[in-house]
Amino acid sequence: MEKLLALLKDGKSRTPEMLAAELGVSVEDVKRDIEFLERTGVIVKVGFSENGHSCNGCTGCGTGKKTCAGCMPEGGFKNMGYMWEVK
Amino acid sequence: MTDKNETVIALLGQPNSGKSTLFNALTGLRQHVGNWPGKTVEKKEGTFKHNGTDYLVADLPGTYSLSANSDEEMITRDYIASGKADVVCILADSSQLERSLYMLADFAGVTVPCFLVLNMSDVAAEQGKNIKVKELEKKLGIPVILISATDTKAYDRFYQALELAVKGKTVLDPGALEKRYEEIGAYGKVRQIIPDGVIPGYSKTWLAAKAIEKDEPVIAKITEKLSAGDKKLLQSALSEVDKGVVLTGERKFAWIDEFLSGIVEKKKTQISLGKFDRIITHRVWGKPVVILTVLLGLVASFIPALPLMGIGQLIGKIPDPLNEALLNIGCPAFIAALLCDVLIRSLSFIVQMLGFVFGVTLVFGLLEEVGVMARISYVFDNTMAKFGLQGKSVMPFLISFGCTMGGAAGTRVIDSWGQKVLTIALAWAVPCGAAWAVIPMLSTIFFGAWMPVIILVILLVMLLHMWITAKIFGRSLVKKEDRYGMIMELPPYHKPKWGALFRYVFGRTKDTFIRALKVVVVVALAFWLLSYTSTGDITNSILYKVGHFIEPVTKIFGMGWQTFMAFIASSLGKEGALGVLSTIFTGSGTISVGALVSGARAENINEILVNNIAKPEALAFIFAMTFNMPCIVALAATYQETHSVKWTARIALYYTGMALVLAGIAYYIGLLIW
Repeated sequence: MEKLLALLKDGKSRTPEMLAAELGVSVEDVKRDIEFLERTGVIVKVGFSENGHSCNGCTGCGTGKKTCAGCMPEGGFKNMGYMWEVK
Repeated sequence: MTDKNETVIALLGQPNSGKSTLFNALTGLRQHVGNWPGKTVEKKEGTFKHNGTDYLVADLPGTYSLSANSDEEMITRDYIASGKADVVCILADSSQLERSLYMLADFAGVTVPCFLVLNMSDVAAEQGKNIKVKELEKKLGIPVILISATDTKAYDRFYQALELAVKGKTVLDPGALEKRYEEIGAYGKVRQIIPDGVIPGYSKTWLAAKAIEKDEPVIAKITEKLSAGDKKLLQSALSEVDKGVVLTGERKFAWIDEFLSGIVEKKKTQISLGKFDRIITHRVWGKPVVILTVLLGLVASFIPALPLMGIGQLIGKIPDPLNEALLNIGCPAFIAALLCDVLIRSLSFIVQMLGFVFGVTLVFGLLEEVGVMARISYVFDNTMAKFGLQGKSVMPFLISFGCTMGGAAGTRVIDSWGQKVLTIALAWAVPCGAAWAVIPMLSTIFFGAWMPVIILVILLVMLLHMWITAKIFGRSLVKKEDRYGMIMELPPYHKPKWGALFRYVFGRTKDTFIRALKVVVVVALAFWLLSYTSTGDITNSILYKVGHFIEPVTKIFGMGWQTFMAFIASSLGKEGALGVLSTIFTGSGTISVGALVSGARAENINEILVNNIAKPEALAFIFAMTFNMPCIVALAATYQETHSVKWTARIALYYTGMALVLAGIAYYIGLLIW
């Protein structure tokens, strides 16, 4: 995990697969590290996949619905994958 | 041991390790459910009898580890420290031992007897995993069983292991793990300082590791028992440690991997990226391929737009005959003109535009559903760094393609105010959904088949615009700092859910229709009234007089007064521009500017536009409108998110200026071409 964090220090984002290749470990190992780092608050999941946003102005907003139909699909973008940032 | 002479078993495990199944199977109906004192966390206890011994089972809350991050974890720790439990049963998911044994590793150093239950043996077997339990028992020094908690026949082995652990007081040996801890410089120093008996049941090894992890309750407990001199020593030792939780975590996993080696036949999974993923993660080809994908998507999205464009044009043919018919039946000219010029012509434009909204939303909704959108954001992540932004700014930009207000609201995930303001400032450059309806429509009217090229140029100018804007505003908003890259897990490719997708597309088209109708009709009406004269001579109207007065200036940016007025109206909403164009150029009856300029009345609005606006001016107008401020509501949203009048005004003025500059450049380039 120290190596993983050191890799990310160069500012380039990577997928778990790329991290696994660069660190010479398996993807499961990387996913285990991600789970651990997230649980311990070292990295934080960026949450815009599941949550919608509130906006004002377009019709469909302010009707109590969480996402605005004019801006995003129902329930927000669902298939954007996940992003974690280092705190 | 309870006062009723019951032997107490505490169940410890991560969520989804099957604790509840085991608890229910053991205790059946003899359960008691309440709350832990002073906490809202559920407390479950139950009893059972086996071989003449009474047992009390305490189902501890499911937690990832024994750190102090939550109420659940604190309850778990305190319960073990209370000495109530005679034995701790640690559960792990045998189908993912490398991950779920973390709880065992975090337990290492606790001196309460324990045994390990590897649950979900059925799932592990399905995965073709062979776990050598006996060898694992030898390595750990505690009873280990492999079961499926749902299999009632497996419980004999559970009772055996339980009895063995209680009688033998089997304690997990942390020796091998401690050797690894000793690699951490501060560990030895911290362990030396810790006195005996800080927390009952927790060894110095465990306490020192937690102290390294900056576990506040543990550090407080240790400090209580220290002399002033030792307190200082402890503080100085701990101050050497950075991200201690990573240091110990790393070693816990290494320890797990060490004792698991030879125990689990582990299949090495090949790292394989899909073909498209291999291309987009390519250093050189990534961006071009993604840009090409977006362009092809845009071109494809115009196919469903064409039929609606045709319908819109047909509607545009109604006003002239209708106006004549209305006048013939004695309808007042004013009302007839209002109906034909304002309402129906606006409608004609809106319907032409809707086709593009439908197409663009469908194609990009599809790209998102399939999983391509996530890959696009991945490819542009490194570009964000060049703008001085965090990788997550890419999301507000993507949302801004739909709606700038959504994009501005999306910046709430960005913690730094400066980064947030810069992200919003850049998001303004991204043409929004309304622009994506107006741009292709006007481009098709003026440039026909060259429309995709115009779109491409607009996208490139957008990137350039963002780069320049970041250079101008970035310096005062974001400091150059070391940026960590993000971990981005790309979603697997999905088959699209057509139902949800079409609901979104239709919802959006409907939304745009309503919004556009309001904006276009209101703007058209306002401009129609401004250009209305009782004599029918447009040159007497306020609009014409103002227009002529400012035209020498607007000509610098390549726009005549008419298109300039449309540009101004586009700051209310991009569709507003259409309201102006439809009124000024295509009025029929008494106030026909179109007829005035072209000398003859054309049948079709599109033709009138083409006849009256030269291609360079049209190009200038398209650029001015695209890069103008998104809309008046986006301006309000920007204020709401930035809480700064100064920055909101600065961004708005900058965009108006930039739009005019870009329009001027487009005009002179247009003059060279045509």
